[in-house]
Amino acid sequence: MTTATWTTEPPVRRGPGSFLAVRDLTVEFTTEDGVVRAVDGLSFDLEKGTTLGIVGESGSGKSVTSLSILGLHDPSTTTITGEIWLEDQELVSADRAVMERLRGNRVAMVFQDPLTALSPYHTVGRQIAETYRRHKGGSKREARERAIEMLKRVGIPQPHLRVDDYPHHFSGGMRQRAMIAMALVCDPDLLIADEPTTALDVTVQAQILDLLKELQQQTGMAVILITHDLGVVANTASEVLVMYAGRAVERGTVREVLREPRHPYTWGLLGSMPSLRSPVDVPLRPVRGTPPSLLAPPPGCPFHPRCDYVDVAGRELCTRERPVLTPETGHADACHLAPEDKRRLAPERRTDRKERA
Amino acid sequence: MLAFLTRRTIGAVITLLIIAAATFFLFFAVPADPARLACGKVCPPELLEQARRNLGLDAPVWEQFVAWLAGLVVGRDYEGLGHCPAPCLGYSFVNREPVLETILDRLPLTLSLTFGAAVFFLLFGVGAGVVAALRRGRPLDKIASVASLIGASVQIYFVGTLAMYFLVYQWQILDRPQYIPLTEDPIGWAYGLLLPWLVLSLIFTANYTRITRSTMVEQLSEDFVRTATAKGLPRRTVVTRFALRGTLIPVVTIFGVDLGSLIGGAIITETTFGLQGIGRLALRAVTDSDLPMLMATVLLAAAAIVVFSIIVDILYAVIDPRVRLS
Amino acid sequence: MTRRRRSFTAIAAIGVLAFAAACAPGNAGGGGSTAAPSASAPATDPNAFTPPKVTIGTAEDSKGPAPEPEGVVRGGTVTMIDRDDYAHLDPGQIYVNTESTVAQLYARGLTGYKRVGPNEYKLVGDLATDPGTPSDGGRTWTFTLKDGVRWEDGSPITSEDVKWTIERLFAPHITYGPTYIQQWLTGEEDYKKVYGGPYDGKRLDAIETPDEKTVVFHFKEPHADANFALAMTGYSIVPKAKDTKEKYDKQPVSSGPYRITEHTPDKSMVMERNPHWDPATDPIRGGYPDRWRFEFGQERLQITDRFIADAGEDKTAMSFYAWVAPERLQQVLNDKSLHSRMMRQPSPYGNYYYFNLDRVKDIKIRQAINIAWPTRQLQQLEGGPAASTISTTILNPVVAGWQDYDVFGMKAKPDGDIERAKQLMAESSDPNPTIVYAYNQTPTEERKTVVIKNQLAKIGINLVPKPLARKTYYDQISKVDNGFDMYWGGWGQDWPSGSTVFPVIFGPVREGGNNLSHLRDPEIDAEMKRILEMEDANEANAAWAALDKKIMETITPLVPDLNDVGTMLHGSRIGGAEIDPQSWTVSPNLIFVKPQ
Repeated sequence: MTTATWTTEPPVRRGPGSFLAVRDLTVEFTTEDGVVRAVDGLSFDLEKGTTLGIVGESGSGKSVTSLSILGLHDPSTTTITGEIWLEDQELVSADRAVMERLRGNRVAMVFQDPLTALSPYHTVGRQIAETYRRHKGGSKREARERAIEMLKRVGIPQPHLRVDDYPHHFSGGMRQRAMIAMALVCDPDLLIADEPTTALDVTVQAQILDLLKELQQQTGMAVILITHDLGVVANTASEVLVMYAGRAVERGTVREVLREPRHPYTWGLLGSMPSLRSPVDVPLRPVRGTPPSLLAPPPGCPFHPRCDYVDVAGRELCTRERPVLTPETGHADACHLAPEDKRRLAPERRTDRKERA
Repeated sequence: MLAFLTRRTIGAVITLLIIAAATFFLFFAVPADPARLACGKVCPPELLEQARRNLGLDAPVWEQFVAWLAGLVVGRDYEGLGHCPAPCLGYSFVNREPVLETILDRLPLTLSLTFGAAVFFLLFGVGAGVVAALRRGRPLDKIASVASLIGASVQIYFVGTLAMYFLVYQWQILDRPQYIPLTEDPIGWAYGLLLPWLVLSLIFTANYTRITRSTMVEQLSEDFVRTATAKGLPRRTVVTRFALRGTLIPVVTIFGVDLGSLIGGAIITETTFGLQGIGRLALRAVTDSDLPMLMATVLLAAAAIVVFSIIVDILYAVIDPRVRLS
Repeated sequence: MTRRRRSFTAIAAIGVLAFAAACAPGNAGGGGSTAAPSASAPATDPNAFTPPKVTIGTAEDSKGPAPEPEGVVRGGTVTMIDRDDYAHLDPGQIYVNTESTVAQLYARGLTGYKRVGPNEYKLVGDLATDPGTPSDGGRTWTFTLKDGVRWEDGSPITSEDVKWTIERLFAPHITYGPTYIQQWLTGEEDYKKVYGGPYDGKRLDAIETPDEKTVVFHFKEPHADANFALAMTGYSIVPKAKDTKEKYDKQPVSSGPYRITEHTPDKSMVMERNPHWDPATDPIRGGYPDRWRFEFGQERLQITDRFIADAGEDKTAMSFYAWVAPERLQQVLNDKSLHSRMMRQPSPYGNYYYFNLDRVKDIKIRQAINIAWPTRQLQQLEGGPAASTISTTILNPVVAGWQDYDVFGMKAKPDGDIERAKQLMAESSDPNPTIVYAYNQTPTEERKTVVIKNQLAKIGINLVPKPLARKTYYDQISKVDNGFDMYWGGWGQDWPSGSTVFPVIFGPVREGGNNLSHLRDPEIDAEMKRILEMEDANEANAAWAALDKKIMETITPLVPDLNDVGTMLHGSRIGGAEIDPQSWTVSPNLIFVKPQ
């Protein structure tokens, strides 16, 4: 699928042991202006039955990561290095036939905007049935029955009628339900949901997240939930990966990251998140500045131009040396601040906000 | 659908009536006198008047138009030439041949030329456009874009004349283009029209390649196409069933216009290859001030465009279920 | 036997693109008038073309068969290729030269032109035993039909058929053919008012048929050249028994060597031998091939390319009127291997830049313009000497009795004599006049107009060009009050005599008429009348030539334009092909197919 060489006889591979293991994943796009490194040496693991939330601003590389798992990038402009192991199958070097068998079958994906992600030219039922027939075979009738069943499962009323409707006949939430039905029609082991609720009404958002959670409990699949909204992660995920400029800057369980955030960027994300408990007149504080250009990322820590604590950690260090995600397991972060500063400054920021109000 | 067709048919008839009336009255607005062309070299006023009477040009223009319309619906009697049954398009001013017969005699060639060429330029054009879009930025794409640039800038009378000169006259690889009815000899039919098809499609292909390529590139980056890939569908299915579907909309649009105008007459192509189709009839009708023939060719061209615009609208709805026939 | 000048102008001025020239039948294009520019044109001596000699033959000359061309072979099929089909096949409706030419194959008249040698023709009896006997000072003409002349169904051709032929020309549906005989018989210009044709049973007393073989015409005035007029295709005969009126235009009955067996309008036509045609009765037509195939719909460029390639069936192909396309003219002229299949001939027409005498009243100005005329530059625009010859007379050299003269030195000083012209202008009533010049708006005419404007500016004349649309050009300039001072016009004689030139182009001034210069001169009118009444054709011809020079010297109503030279090719297995100098088409009469 990328520059990886294709061998006629794939050697027996042994993965790192996790259900999904991403190792040192780097994704580069060749553009007219130069090479963009969208993902830079990313590693993470995911076990069955768990949900990983990947959080970051646009351009942080979270969507690119998910697309590269399915090999959905244009191979002519994309270079992918590193390894992605799905149990004992390496995906970066897998050939097209392998990936085609995998997509929609073992690994399925739900996209952000169901209006554009569903084909306007085909009925919802056909789009679901098509996936089923492709991977599981069976007659058209069986596939159609399966599609109706799936529509029922995702909570669409009168599924035997709606199966022949086109996506534009559906409301936004219904469309996303149909999308989920399509993704789950082959009982995948891994579901990647890329901002599945961003394009939806707030009330519908919660319904969809509940549906995803419920379905996960039923099937025991692993889920990667990509979002820019830490609130979504808080309700749905078990683990969190915070990405910035193509790299993981903080990783841990939901509890760890939300209770004791260590990276100033995570603090910023939390600060920009509205809370039901906060007074309504408290202004949200978005992270100042803009995400860095990936064509020419800043030297040292890529977050330093937007970081309020550069002087605490040492400007010299932050602008020169790139912090590494440590420790290797458990709650980890990539920041030059000393551990005690991270503990000291994090709560301060929260109180800060209240005081200022 | 029936309501749509009924409404559009009524609209088409009104459009054609307006075009017919406009053509008829504009014809008389030009000071050229068709009676003079039917009058000898020494044309004294009396003879001119006689010629005018013979052609039925002595009545007021609106009366002539009503008579023409009536001929279309109920037929018409011509002194010396006999009854012309409905739909009567009259007799040519120039050679007094029945216009309808002449049109029907030329139409098979024009239809063969149009649809034959259309098969070629659709296949070549859309094919090259799809390949170019899939191989974006690679040599094949560049070859296709250069070829389409050349194709778009050449003229039929130039390429056609050149092709005739070398392929037919100098090297004698092909026979001179000719029309053999399809029903008579399908192979001869195709062989006789091969050169005009190819030359005609050369000109049109470029446009289709360009439009297919750009729309296809757009479509390939559409979310639903990515979804189709993410579902594990093979590349071929993704391209043909998903990306191509949306690409067909602009293609069908220009295809309708092209077919309509080609049936109205491929004047230059017919002239270059010495074929006798609607185009040359139309050209001759204009230069000869041959009103009955002019009316027939103008109406045929207009009808072709109107009919194809209806077909295109129906095709939109077939291609894209979001489009409603209203 | 000429084509309509109206059509001719249309084409002479059209652009060079082959398809742009696709217009009315008979508009197939005039010679090299649109020829490609050619600095390197081979210098063609304009005097290389000898004017043809036309004399009146005897009864002996009128006997068949026609003189055979060298190496003649009988049999085979000839393919005739041209752009346009013939709008008319009824002889009574024929005036266009291509239609006259094709009619040679199936229609015979009382008289006709027999080729007796290179550039030598005789007016002879065709169906008649001799070219006619005038009496009563030319008011009465008697013709006797030959024995053994038959229609294609085998029935004999009778004097009643001849009478019927002339009578039917008065019927309403005949509007296109010549009108001379009708007017002469009735003495009326509006002859249809006097007699409405024979279909309602009324007959015309002016034609007598004392017996089956004899026809007598009684004209109101003397007409010395009535036998020339009767040679026009418009007077070729139509069988009384088979006359289908309007429909006859589609299915003429043959009296000639061939009959039409198939005809798909605008596409093709086939003629096969007429078994009842006896070559022994025909002094004009050879009738050598078994079959004629006509192919219509190809443009000049394609036809030229086919002749150049000379492949397969095209070896036995020829055209009546498809000139070498301007794009290929230089190639053809330079390629010696084509010259054995090349035919060249100057046009038989008169082309003029008329002065409107109602507006340009000073003869000195008219003469100064003639003297300063940029003849050579205009010739270059036409394609050089290979495509046109300089003409200084009103009559075309093909007209019998033509005498060359060059009163304004156009041949001597083709670049124009500015000094002499300036002198004349200085003596004129207005040394700085404005001349409104109307022209056909085409690329070639635009360029010519610039040349003329620049040249006349040198002698102090302000030429104001007025472009006119091609379709209405003639309608506009033939208005009496047209508002123009100068404009182009052409005329072609109907038989090789000044009697079909001067009385027309200097005839009555009227709306839509042919006297474009509006010349009204009692002295000239009297002279024309005097010549028309002459009994001796040779004497008359000499008098026309003298009048030609006199008009130019004493009135100068026009500037003579160049004369186009047409070039045509034919297939390598075609024999006997020659451009007829009068009709300016390839005559079918002596064509034969050479053996492989």
